[in-house]
Amino acid sequence: MSTQVATLESHTFDVLVIGSGGAGLRAAVQASVPGVSVGIIGKSLLGKAHTVMAEGGVAASFGNVDRWDGWETHFYDTMRSGHFINDYRIAEKFAHEATERVLELEEWGAVFDRTPDGKIMQRPFGAHSFRRLAHIGDRTGMELLRTLQYKAISQDIEIFQEVTVTKLLKDEAGRIAGALAYYRATGDFVLFRAKAVVLATGGWGKLYKVTSNSWESTGDGGALAYRAGAEMMDMEMVQFHPTGMVWPPGVRGLLVTEGVRGEGGLLYNSEGERFMLQYDPERKELSSRDVVARSIFKEVQAGRGTPHGGAWLDITHKGPEFIKRKLPGMYEQYLTLADVDITKEKFEVAPTCHYTMGGVRAEAETCATNIPGLFAAGEVACGLHGANRLGGNSLADLLVFGRRAGEGALAYARDVAEASSVNAQEIETEMARVMAPFSVSHGENPFEIHEELQDIMSAHAGIVRSGPDLEKGLAKLQALTDRATNMAVSGSRVYNPGWHAVFDVQSMLALAELIFRGALARQESRGAHWRTDYPDELPEMGQWNFVQSIDEGVQAVPVPQMPKELSRLFERGMAPGAWTKQQEGKEN
Amino acid sequence: MQVTVRVERSTGTASYSVDTKAQQTVLDVLFYIQNELDETLSFRCSCRVGMCGSCGMVINGKEGLACRTGLDRLGPVVTLQPMRHQGRIKDLVVDMGDFFSKYEAVRPYLTPRPEVQDPIVASPRSKLREAIDLGLECISCGLCLSACDVMTAVPEFLGPAALNRAYNLIADVRDDARDRRLAVVGQARSGVWQCHTHMSCVEVCPKNIAPTRAIAQLKQKLIVRRFMGHRERPIPKLQYIVKEGG
Repeated sequence: MSTQVATLESHTFDVLVIGSGGAGLRAAVQASVPGVSVGIIGKSLLGKAHTVMAEGGVAASFGNVDRWDGWETHFYDTMRSGHFINDYRIAEKFAHEATERVLELEEWGAVFDRTPDGKIMQRPFGAHSFRRLAHIGDRTGMELLRTLQYKAISQDIEIFQEVTVTKLLKDEAGRIAGALAYYRATGDFVLFRAKAVVLATGGWGKLYKVTSNSWESTGDGGALAYRAGAEMMDMEMVQFHPTGMVWPPGVRGLLVTEGVRGEGGLLYNSEGERFMLQYDPERKELSSRDVVARSIFKEVQAGRGTPHGGAWLDITHKGPEFIKRKLPGMYEQYLTLADVDITKEKFEVAPTCHYTMGGVRAEAETCATNIPGLFAAGEVACGLHGANRLGGNSLADLLVFGRRAGEGALAYARDVAEASSVNAQEIETEMARVMAPFSVSHGENPFEIHEELQDIMSAHAGIVRSGPDLEKGLAKLQALTDRATNMAVSGSRVYNPGWHAVFDVQSMLALAELIFRGALARQESRGAHWRTDYPDELPEMGQWNFVQSIDEGVQAVPVPQMPKELSRLFERGMAPGAWTKQQEGKEN
Repeated sequence: MQVTVRVERSTGTASYSVDTKAQQTVLDVLFYIQNELDETLSFRCSCRVGMCGSCGMVINGKEGLACRTGLDRLGPVVTLQPMRHQGRIKDLVVDMGDFFSKYEAVRPYLTPRPEVQDPIVASPRSKLREAIDLGLECISCGLCLSACDVMTAVPEFLGPAALNRAYNLIADVRDDARDRRLAVVGQARSGVWQCHTHMSCVEVCPKNIAPTRAIAQLKQKLIVRRFMGHRERPIPKLQYIVKEGG
């Protein structure tokens, strides 16, 4: 073993969690039991993860305000809005367990908003049959993350902040062995060895120019897993949230919470028409995100857009007192960033890249991946949301499956005598690769490559797609990826943003290709994936998930079929709870 | 508008000339410099909307979040410095280790009273809800610690953010660790008595929190405890709800 590897700072854990957002913290809290060592790595400082930006709430079918709600209806809504390519086993566990996970947060210190009689308040959200989102004003994600963070601090969990992982390590038998990383502050390498690893690194919204995502969302975990041999599923499914800020340019893409429509906000085109009445007369503004985003896009295409290419959102009819109490964050955001008082005037919104439904294929029970010892939870994982995610389901997702992944990793680690051995040669090669950009002269600027990548994705794999356009985009992407092998950075290893960007860009390039290949394979329109050359949802395509791996390429894998007791929930063509409500109405 | 941006970097002050047509905030300008002029300029940021508290710095002499500070208020010369009282890593990036360890010192997590088995009722306009709401706003950006004058003379001072959190929990009827926490905040060298009520923290807080008020409340609680022993107001009886009801 070389001295470089022998003197490397090294930590060994039973369970290593990569990602310190909601899913990662929830997993770490679960895995941390007496006698078991747990470490958690975050790319940013503790408490800054993208989870803080989740505003609207966490979906859980308490039935506190609409008593007809229950897990069956939450399951129904999730599968239906996912256009039935979700894994029903994942969705079933999810719908069952979301309420417990929310209550547990209260035991740890969070207190959700209440109904006048003291129960957890629930607000309506797009495509949820009932008022379902438990919330804390419009900063639910912030409070959820903070609560989990405090819980983690109160337990014996070792926390590593501002650490970038560059490679997942496996042993000769193909089991997970750990990860190689570096401290962003110093640039020094650090080796993590672990019996089990939970991947909870979030999504890859930064692939797109107009996005609500924070800077962390560069898909590092997805790319790490893919390179290590993990199966990636439904990568073509990228959610565009209907309402992002449009103007001024500096704020373009920032999220306007669905809570605005949940609390009564209405959408109008430039001619003053409430166009959602036409696109979805039943659910109107609260239709699923794919439908609303596409409707706004179509209105703008038809020349009925607002001055900066969006739609008007208007909630003034609710009155200033209501708006400031229910949507304090939104009120403040528009006032300070756009100089618009949303209690007095309508404001412009347009679709923005918001969430990646695709990701590492994980199973329902323990979130295990195809790599022994590697578990995945939260946005990086795939299976729950299908072709379209419901608002509020992501916070519930990270709680339910963060816990399950933590539990799964804990059980796995207990069965393993010691952490697998790591290969010194492999580590040395990886360190050389990571350092390489410092010795390239006249190379490519990583920030420029990122910008060009965003242009390609927005133009060719955005809200509207077609076969020829995807082919063109893929060719451009491949040319860009070739250029990116020659990225150069200057300066030292100490907190060097250009150097950090190199790995972000490498991750995003890898995932961009998977999005193109998935989008080409799915020759239909389904949920968020809209192809003008295949404008219809095709039943025969709906039977497949597209799974990609570095060894096998793209493969069509059958969507798991629901057993009778679940499929019967869909026979009436309406949500189980809605049916019960209707029956009660008839009896009275 | 042409703006001169002076950044106090690790290597000395660097000056950049920026046309602010497309930039509205200090953060926009920093991105512009990093992407177009000098990719080695280091700063932190994450959410861009003032929710995560990553981009704290000293802007024209006063603490602020880069993402929430508009250029129109700053004039033709903008000076950017790293936050004070915290070691510098590079350029505008400071070491937040001291901030986090102060937070940890006050035991920032709820320690539930043993009799509390189920989530409690907190009706929307109750005193309990008020106490909890106070704690919700802090985004641990560290601006208050940077602005705190006491820190210059007494680096051990726990500082506004940690003390504010301590007060939230001491005021929370669900918490069982108030004695231990009061002992921490009452320490002579690092505790509340160091605060001279300059209110600098209140002035810079991006979330309009008043840590000085929390500190004053803590002082009062400590005095009551000193002179009246443990005969404080009795803790109100809690009302619990059954799990099924949520």
